[in-house]
Amino acid sequence: MNPDDIDKEIIKIIEKDPGMPYSRIAELLQISEEEVKEKLEMLSDTRQKILIVDDELDALIPLKRALEAEDYLVIEASSGMEAIEKTRSAHPDLILLDLMMPGMDGFAVCKVLKDDTLTGHIPIIMLTAKGEIDDKIEGIETGADDYVTKPFDLGELKARIKMILRRTGV
Amino acid sequence: MVLKLIFKDNKYNLLTILVICVFAIALIIFLGSRSNEEVQNIVQEQFNEQQLLLARQSTDGIEEFLNQKTTIIEILANEISDKPPDEVVTSFITVYNKTTDIHVIEFVNESGIVTLGYPEENSPLGYDLYENNQEWAFEQTRDNKETYISNPTFLLEGGMGVFIWTPIHEGDDFKGIVLVIIRISDISDRFLKNCESPREIYMIDKRGTILYDSSNRYRWGRNYLDKLGNESPGLHQILHHQMNGSEGTGYYFEMNGSEKRLIAYSPIHWRNQLWSVAVTSPASEVDTLINSVYVKQGVFIGVSGIFLLLGSFSIILLLTRWNKSLELEVASKTSEITKSNELLKRANKKLMELDKLKSDFVSMVSHELKTPLTPMKTSAEFLLQNDPDVNVRREMLELIVRNIDRQTRMVNDMLDISRIESGNMRYRKEILDIGEIINSAIETMKKQSEEKKINITTDIPPDLLKINADKDKLIQVFINLLSNALKFTPNGGNVEIKANESEKYIKVCVKDDGIGIPADKINKIFNKFYQIDNTSARPYGGSGLGLAITKGIMDGHGGTIRVESTPGEGSVFSLIFLK
Repeated sequence: MNPDDIDKEIIKIIEKDPGMPYSRIAELLQISEEEVKEKLEMLSDTRQKILIVDDELDALIPLKRALEAEDYLVIEASSGMEAIEKTRSAHPDLILLDLMMPGMDGFAVCKVLKDDTLTGHIPIIMLTAKGEIDDKIEGIETGADDYVTKPFDLGELKARIKMILRRTGV
Repeated sequence: MVLKLIFKDNKYNLLTILVICVFAIALIIFLGSRSNEEVQNIVQEQFNEQQLLLARQSTDGIEEFLNQKTTIIEILANEISDKPPDEVVTSFITVYNKTTDIHVIEFVNESGIVTLGYPEENSPLGYDLYENNQEWAFEQTRDNKETYISNPTFLLEGGMGVFIWTPIHEGDDFKGIVLVIIRISDISDRFLKNCESPREIYMIDKRGTILYDSSNRYRWGRNYLDKLGNESPGLHQILHHQMNGSEGTGYYFEMNGSEKRLIAYSPIHWRNQLWSVAVTSPASEVDTLINSVYVKQGVFIGVSGIFLLLGSFSIILLLTRWNKSLELEVASKTSEITKSNELLKRANKKLMELDKLKSDFVSMVSHELKTPLTPMKTSAEFLLQNDPDVNVRREMLELIVRNIDRQTRMVNDMLDISRIESGNMRYRKEILDIGEIINSAIETMKKQSEEKKINITTDIPPDLLKINADKDKLIQVFINLLSNALKFTPNGGNVEIKANESEKYIKVCVKDDGIGIPADKINKIFNKFYQIDNTSARPYGGSGLGLAITKGIMDGHGGTIRVESTPGEGSVFSLIFLK
């Protein structure tokens, strides 16, 4: 079943019977109780959602901590495929996308997401250690909304995130 | 246009060329024979002129000789007119001895009887001309009162002779005659023996009597005309000319008509006598002469032709060889240039490859060096700007330390490869147990292997020979190989390390059941900076230096490293340590 459909089903069930326990919902939708719990938490969370995509766990963790401290809801993905899946299921408000990743790289992910009408509107900030001008052009051509080179200034990144989120009116 | 018509057909071509050739040959032969004829005529004329000179020389000599003798005899006759017989004989002896070729000097008295003579053995003393009916010449001389020479005639002693009758007068009184006989053979011996075969010489008198014939065809004394009969009309005519006292040249055909002979003749005028000397040669002599000239010319032309041919041939040969050597030189130079071009191209390609590898490496290195910087910087800034709880702070600090370590490793790898390349790698060798080295490498990689649930097994004989090597470097070799094996082997896979010993070497194999190495890449994996998938989509991170360092360390130990792999099944890296 499509993750979006699951979300809709959960909402339907809750509307009918707000007191239904998680185990019952899980049983109805044939998913685990944990998953139901996570979905409900996500649905109830009103914070802005940011998806961070990076194969380097060490790069991901401090950024996650820093953004959480700014009161964003942070979702992680460590590969291109995972990033696309998470985008489709969790509908992030912004994606921080690393360029150099094994398997599917940042450009490919960006192209897939921007070509999809369901995800095309989600702003993407590209993060990369390569600071070459060619990469920048390719990044913008594939539809990335901004481009930040690693190692970045945390304050600046946060400011850019805020600016883009305000622009998209979330 | 015409040429085109003529040479339209090959058959006609051949025919035309043939006709032209035949015509040309005929023309050459015609012109040759014409000029040969002219040459023959000229040479024949010259030849005959020469013969004439020869004949004249003979006749002049004979004429002078005979006239001299005659004059001497006339002086003698004048002198002895009043002398007694004994003084006459003394005079005869003097004349005989002082001159040559007089056969005999006789005195015939007024009644025609030979009374004196010298030499006496040749003198028929007491011989009466009248009694022997020989008085005609005697009377002729006496009556004409001048020297008379009778026609050559046979001598009593044999051979032919000529009689010179000189009258002796004392005043008007006829006293007798001095008779001198000269042998024809003496004359011919003196003047006509200077001719060599095939040239012939003959002498006739005005009656046509043969006085001398070098060919010995006819005996002297015979009449040439009688002997010839009807043969050789040409010669008949010439003989008549001779008998008329003419001088000239001509030719005639011999009796059988086969041989043409050239002839030159000259007369001898001696008082009342007329003789003629003729020199003859076969006309073939002229041909021989011309031929000899032709032969000499031919030899000259032939030799010059051969020289010319040889010369031009050698020049052609020289030029050809020169040309050939030039061509060869050009070819070798060209191939050299092509070769060096090829080398340059290859070197350039290699350089470009190296350059690409290097720039790839630089971008890789910068990425690898920048990558740890990002978490360090983010963590540090986060810690500065916020005041998180202890656990988060600890997490951040650990992360910073971990990334510092990672960068240090990276820098160390680069230093190692630079040392290996410049030959400055130092090895502190000691006697080591390979098993221990492998175990300590496995221990180091324990965390990674456990994370991926990869089982590392070893099969190392306990009595394996110890080796002399640098412990840290050797551990690094195994860590690198294990790290690769773990990196490219999927979760739950197996890595096996086996060691065995042979006569000459110890072999250690690190076998994984990972993704393997494509056949076209297997030769390059030990190159520094080389990574099988060097794009940004590279799924397995690394500096690309691990295997290059490993190979460098093995080389530094005098060992070798080899790899066998089947894509999809796994790879085996074999280390060979020489004993």
